[in-house]
Amino acid sequence: MASRGIIGEAGVRRLLLGNEAIARGAVEAGISAATAYPGTPSTEIVETLAEVAEEYGFYVEWSTNEKVALEVAIGVSMMGLRALTAMKHVGLNVASDPLMSLGYTGVVGGLVIVSADDPNAHSSQNEQDNRIYGMHAYIPVFEPSSVQEAKDMTRELFDLSEKYSTAVLLRTTTRLSHSRGEVVFGEVPKLNREARFHRDPERWALLPPYNLRKHRETLERIKKLGEDLGSWHFNWFAEGDGDTLVVSAGAAHMYVAEALKTLDVRSPLLKLSSVYPLPRRMVEKALEFDRIVVVEELEPFVEHQLRVAASETGRTPRIVGKELFPRVGELNAQLVASGLAKVLGVRYEAQQGPSAGVELPPRPPTLCPGCGHRAAYYAVKLAAMRARTNPVWANDIGCYTLGFYPPFRMADFTWSMGSALGIGMGISRFSKEPVVAFIGDSTFFHAGVPGLVNAVYNRYPIVIVVMDNEITAMTGHQPHPGSGMGPLGEPRPRVSIEELARACGVEFVEVVPAYDVKRLMDAAERAIRYVRERGLPAVVVARQRCALVELREKRRRGEKITLYKVLREKCVGCGICVDKFACPAILRENKVVKILPELCAGCGVCAAICPAKAIVPAGEGA
Amino acid sequence: MRPRSIVIAGVGGQGLLTMGSLLGEALLRQGYRVSVGEVHGLSQRGGSVVVFVRYAEYQPSPVVAPGEGDVLVGLELIEAARRLHLLSRSGLAVVNDFLLPPPAAQKVPSREELVASIGKAVKSVFVEALPLAEKAGSPVAVNMVMLGALAACSRVDVSLDSLRNVVAARFRGAVGAVNVRALELGYEEALKKLREQVQD
Repeated sequence: MASRGIIGEAGVRRLLLGNEAIARGAVEAGISAATAYPGTPSTEIVETLAEVAEEYGFYVEWSTNEKVALEVAIGVSMMGLRALTAMKHVGLNVASDPLMSLGYTGVVGGLVIVSADDPNAHSSQNEQDNRIYGMHAYIPVFEPSSVQEAKDMTRELFDLSEKYSTAVLLRTTTRLSHSRGEVVFGEVPKLNREARFHRDPERWALLPPYNLRKHRETLERIKKLGEDLGSWHFNWFAEGDGDTLVVSAGAAHMYVAEALKTLDVRSPLLKLSSVYPLPRRMVEKALEFDRIVVVEELEPFVEHQLRVAASETGRTPRIVGKELFPRVGELNAQLVASGLAKVLGVRYEAQQGPSAGVELPPRPPTLCPGCGHRAAYYAVKLAAMRARTNPVWANDIGCYTLGFYPPFRMADFTWSMGSALGIGMGISRFSKEPVVAFIGDSTFFHAGVPGLVNAVYNRYPIVIVVMDNEITAMTGHQPHPGSGMGPLGEPRPRVSIEELARACGVEFVEVVPAYDVKRLMDAAERAIRYVRERGLPAVVVARQRCALVELREKRRRGEKITLYKVLREKCVGCGICVDKFACPAILRENKVVKILPELCAGCGVCAAICPAKAIVPAGEGA
Repeated sequence: MRPRSIVIAGVGGQGLLTMGSLLGEALLRQGYRVSVGEVHGLSQRGGSVVVFVRYAEYQPSPVVAPGEGDVLVGLELIEAARRLHLLSRSGLAVVNDFLLPPPAAQKVPSREELVASIGKAVKSVFVEALPLAEKAGSPVAVNMVMLGALAACSRVDVSLDSLRNVVAARFRGAVGAVNVRALELGYEEALKKLREQVQD
């Protein structure tokens, strides 16, 4: 959903996605490099930067994972240049190893790490609050509270990063990253910096005698920053009536501002955008109130820091927060108004909406029509039945995670990137039934390779099916090392999954087109038998380019797509295509089935698996 | 003025995010402060999707809470029914008269049942968007038909003219012409239905 919409002169007003605004802020800071591994809700930041990189003259890459992305950005900073790296919240877990030491070393060129958190876990495995990482790693944390602020703050954080020679964490949430709001553009500077390696081994080589000294220096730096942030313009006090101070942090401020208007109260307000360290002078002023209400999403991060500050200064205001506002899920203006009304003693009744009063079928996300993963799941399931096994289905993170849902039910667990292999191995060591692990191409490069090497070295009996659609699809089609192209589709070396597997020492490696259900079924059955007999890992690459990419390119080339239709007189109504294969383009109609031409992608797999041969090409469609 | 809230509900792939950003730009041109809240889900296609568009004289937050919506634009009947609770009791539902059962769903209510129960719960207008989109030149333009239908509702201040301008600016050439035509057809159809209701 990104666009070149962030190109423009100072003064231009545009409706931008929060992530696009962050990208514009980075452009206005004069970055030299941006790196990322895609992940919702962070992807559009670097996607947008890739589209304007040539225009503004900086370097952009999709890195193999977040650790590499952060490390590349650190290297750029050591060259005295500005770099941004962006990742989803769980991506920072992968990057946490270099992050923890980055707090000690600090930076030369400005370095902004964007962590896009996902309260409500809209598209994530958890709703971890990455502000805590900042405190853990001594990396200052900043939270914008509007799309405009996201842009402005990103730009200014590069200056701050260099002034205090520290990397900074810009924390956004899904609601800010994926909201559109008005943004007024600023100037794009020409920094004209000389790239020079800042050699300083005592600083960069984290060896025992130096790291304790650095720990001390880091503590000083954080303390100094806390003192200076009292006059930082993104933090502000608003005078008001009453003895209760409302404190809003980051994105929660959007809801607080609206809730105060709804309740028609003018409480004194402290709007915080630097949440670690807290601005000391403002904290002292806040602690003079009798009562403090802290509104923040997820963990009581600011709340706890205020409690500590209160106990350190000997003040005794009543501090409330998470007892009023949920710690699980995201906030909205109504939830905030309800909580504030209680503590401020004003009347407020949350509205109730109407109901249709009908029981509705759920609509879980599904694999697209024409998706190669569907064919692969169908084939591997049949292979397991033919091999008379009931495998443990290890699964990973990507579009193919949707194999969790009926009718496939082929995800007994999904954990974190690459875990299908790691956890799968632990199970396979003691399981009588074989373990079949599904991992996507992008995930394989991200975190699957060390697992694969472990499987060879420690001789694990595990079937690894690489669900290869040649792109990082779920986040919107970003290329990866196996795609053979760079961020804008330009040619790049292609790292071969099968060659890599063979080079690691896997003896059983087969590559099969995913649409070829028959061949894939045979290959998967051979792999299961091989693993059972030899006790060694086997790799099957089920390859089919993402159907959405395929369709888009065919349309661009003006190629016709052959759609499929059902011969009603031949259809026996067995339901295999609907109930077992579950293509969204196929519907039951009376006793037979029909194919919706507007959804059919023309893959033809349904025709191949129809036992009655009732599905045939429908001639040429659009 | 309290913030006005528009909820757009449908199935991934129906063009909801495009509707949200066009609507946001149109409202911006009309002089409002705007927030468009999107959730990019787990799948590229086929999941349940909802987009929030809110506007006011001050910057509104991007989330529509239950009971708060002024207008619900439904691109599919099940999804419209699923998000009905986001409307206020006096809200208006503008719904595409189209049923797309989820793949492999066991119990699916009928089209008639859904139309009747939505109609009973709130004031509503049903538009058959697909024939109008085809008439405009493309079955994909269903989202534009529904945007046009929204502009016909006086509950929210979305003008057909500003929508026409942003659509023409976003899509050039033949696609732009088809989309503008689809907007207009949706607008006329909804206006006709709303007038009939007044006469009833």
